[in-house]
Amino acid sequence: MKLNKLIVLVGMISTLMLIAGCGADEQDEIVIYSARNEQFVQDLLDQFEEDTDIEVTALHGAEPLQIMEERENVQADVYISNDLGALGYLDQEGLLQGHDFEGIDSIPSDFRASDNAYFAISARARGFIYNEDLIDREDMPTSAEDLFDPEWADVENGYAITRGGNGGMIGHVSALRYEWGDERTAEWIDSIQTNAAGIFEGHGDIRRAVGEGQHAFGLVNNYYFHQQLLEPDNNDVGFIYLDQDEDDMGAVANAAGAGLVNGGPNPENGIAFMEWLLEPENQVQFVGESLELLINAEYGASYPEEVEPHIVPFDELHVQDMPITELGNYFEDTRALIEDSGLDLELR
Amino acid sequence: MRQMMSKIKQHIKTFSQTPFSSAVRQKWLLMWHHNPPGKVLFLIGIAIAFIMAIPLFYVIQRSATAGVDRWMRLLDERIPSLLWNTFSLAFMVTLFAVVIGVSLAWFVNRTNLPGAKYWRWLLALPLVIPPYVGAMTYIIVFGPSSWLRGFFEQSTFLGDYPINIYSFWGVFFTLTMFTYPYVYLIASASLRKMNRNFEEVARSQGLTTSQIFWRVNLPFLRPSIGAGAILVSLYVLSDFGAISMLRYVTFTAAIYYQRAGFDTESASVLSLVLIIATVLILWVEARTKSKSNYYQTSNQFREPEQLSLGRWKWFVTGFVWFIFFVSVILPIGVLIYWSYIGIQHGALDHRFFEFAFNSFRLSSFAAIISMALALPLVYLKARHPSIITGVIDRISYVGYALPGVIIALGFVFVFNNHLPILYNTFYVVAIAFVVRFLPQALQSAEASLNLVSPRVDEAARSLGYPPWKIMYKVIFPTIRPGILAGGALVFVSAIKELPATLMLRPPGFDTLAIRVHYEASEALYHQAAPPALIIVLISLIPLRYLLKKY
Repeated sequence: MKLNKLIVLVGMISTLMLIAGCGADEQDEIVIYSARNEQFVQDLLDQFEEDTDIEVTALHGAEPLQIMEERENVQADVYISNDLGALGYLDQEGLLQGHDFEGIDSIPSDFRASDNAYFAISARARGFIYNEDLIDREDMPTSAEDLFDPEWADVENGYAITRGGNGGMIGHVSALRYEWGDERTAEWIDSIQTNAAGIFEGHGDIRRAVGEGQHAFGLVNNYYFHQQLLEPDNNDVGFIYLDQDEDDMGAVANAAGAGLVNGGPNPENGIAFMEWLLEPENQVQFVGESLELLINAEYGASYPEEVEPHIVPFDELHVQDMPITELGNYFEDTRALIEDSGLDLELR
Repeated sequence: MRQMMSKIKQHIKTFSQTPFSSAVRQKWLLMWHHNPPGKVLFLIGIAIAFIMAIPLFYVIQRSATAGVDRWMRLLDERIPSLLWNTFSLAFMVTLFAVVIGVSLAWFVNRTNLPGAKYWRWLLALPLVIPPYVGAMTYIIVFGPSSWLRGFFEQSTFLGDYPINIYSFWGVFFTLTMFTYPYVYLIASASLRKMNRNFEEVARSQGLTTSQIFWRVNLPFLRPSIGAGAILVSLYVLSDFGAISMLRYVTFTAAIYYQRAGFDTESASVLSLVLIIATVLILWVEARTKSKSNYYQTSNQFREPEQLSLGRWKWFVTGFVWFIFFVSVILPIGVLIYWSYIGIQHGALDHRFFEFAFNSFRLSSFAAIISMALALPLVYLKARHPSIITGVIDRISYVGYALPGVIIALGFVFVFNNHLPILYNTFYVVAIAFVVRFLPQALQSAEASLNLVSPRVDEAARSLGYPPWKIMYKVIFPTIRPGILAGGALVFVSAIKELPATLMLRPPGFDTLAIRVHYEASEALYHQAAPPALIIVLISLIPLRYLLKKY
């Protein structure tokens, strides 16, 4: 009987709280969808809340296709993505909206849409994270092309890639299509799909698996290497930037940034967020714990001492000559190409 | 003249209408066994059944219109391997859960196992640990960056670390450890009811103890083994959390991933296959059950005899301790250890309380609605039995067998297309919970209502109450404990729920379960442990009720 009384009490309290919860909707708010890992974004959003008193409602891990699906019933004001291809694609579909943001001039024109509907803050390059206990740097592949060779399947513990639907993988394949054309790219996808020893949900899983020695190396973005260096153990890892020789294609790059959603419920706050984000200290904060490379390196993103010596500034890298804003043109077809070439978009 | 005209008219009217409408009325009454429910009650029942059936209907409809190409591609590439992954896992987990559950029930109830009185409920405790929480603790203990592995690597004589938790065997082990109590509890109940006379007859015919077990006890246990096996296998089919954490892919996980990649058509195709598979399992179980009847004679019941374990005593005690250690002490110990570290690092910040509040708000909402809906449904079923109430009842149990991902998928369609106002509100999640967990409230309310004589209703009706008023004024107060117990069960299930919340939650609405899932996937165990521990503690609430039930 005691239990029953408790339950009735709990029920009554919660009903009261429900009613109380409904009345609190008056505050100034903004809805932000983010494809990035929550760890990297939450502090930034908290800072925005503190600076502006605008309440942030965030959905982390949101796919660009969710913005697509909600086009008749728009929910988000701003979309933060770690794949400029996704932002470009949404823009082409008319789901983002240009605006003359204050402070937009700080972003190089290669890293923003012509109407500024989206812009990038931080950049990353693709490469291999490898476990120094399992494989020597000299023995590592140095080019994306090397992965055509089945010999890499025979390396001790093999190598790891992400599922095909991962934003970083989509961006990489789009860049290869730009460089090689579809047929060769399809062969490449088929090779890595056949030869990889592990296919993971995301890059965080890969860096941990490589650090732990589950796989010899893995195809990731460079900042995952930086993150693994910060781990208290399993941090004997190195990193190879791909295709760095002069006549190579250069490392495939991508960037993270934000776009203003067309017809969002709080348009003014959306603009306010974008302009706030462009302030130098907030650009630094955007990089935050992700340990990516700030495009405006002069604003001085600070890295922990374990990571600092391993940072290669973006302008010192030999980067593929494709403008990153091109990625949007490839986004949709790339997903289909990946799937048709035998690499599943989702884990199987 | 006028009078005559109207009389003729009247005559024509009755002539043309009465036979037909009275035939319908006759049929209607016959269908209800001359006891039709009141209009209000009936409409409530129909409305609930309608809501319950929506997700199922939508998923089937979407999969039927998914197109031949998509079907062919999935049938060709995905479905065979998914079938194998899913059913090999379900089979192995069920088999071992039955073996472990039945043997533990046997040792605890029928032998002189030391401390059997305590083991009786201690061995049911894994039920309060959601398998995804269990999976997380096993990853911490046995995973690739565990202390255990370090121990192996440092020692020279042990060789390579043999455990890969991210494998079929890892998933199998985890799910078995946290589902065997279903079998254990049900088998314990039947073992306690077993009449000693049968065994004595068998013994007088010269059968040994082990022969008695195989030829007398086991046949009696078959119905309860079947019931437990169904619970376990349906659980394996529906689990998302543990399976995704251990990087295995079954139908449920595949449906979730397809939806997460916004390929809803493929998700609904896979869902239809899973629905068919679930129905098949239920059908097979129903068939085997109806073919074999075992009767317990209720008169001359004598308490079963306690067997002496003899020289097996230490082996059996070791086995029981091993299971208890692996399925309770180890996970709870790991949770407490990491919670302690987490709290020292400030895991209990304002966000944590926000998540707890969300969980609490969502689960109590689902529990209150489920309790409110359970009453008219069980009342209809118990007091006005008919084909229609039978159908309503079956439909209300849809959530019992169907994985949360399928219900959530159906709701995605409904709320995107037809109810955009509610889309992305927490009510969508809450309604999905009601569909999923209503059967628990129903079972509990039904058990209570079966103890109330229909005479009570008749008395109230003779005093002029309409049926719905009888239900709320007379029946409800009488069966309130049963309804509240059902509500508590719904509350606890809702606190633990993962996949439907992941698929339907509005932006910014994280629950404790979501936090456990997210933090664990990032290997931030000190952040994941405190919410996991709270979920476990809340799950303890209805344990007393569960133990009493079986």
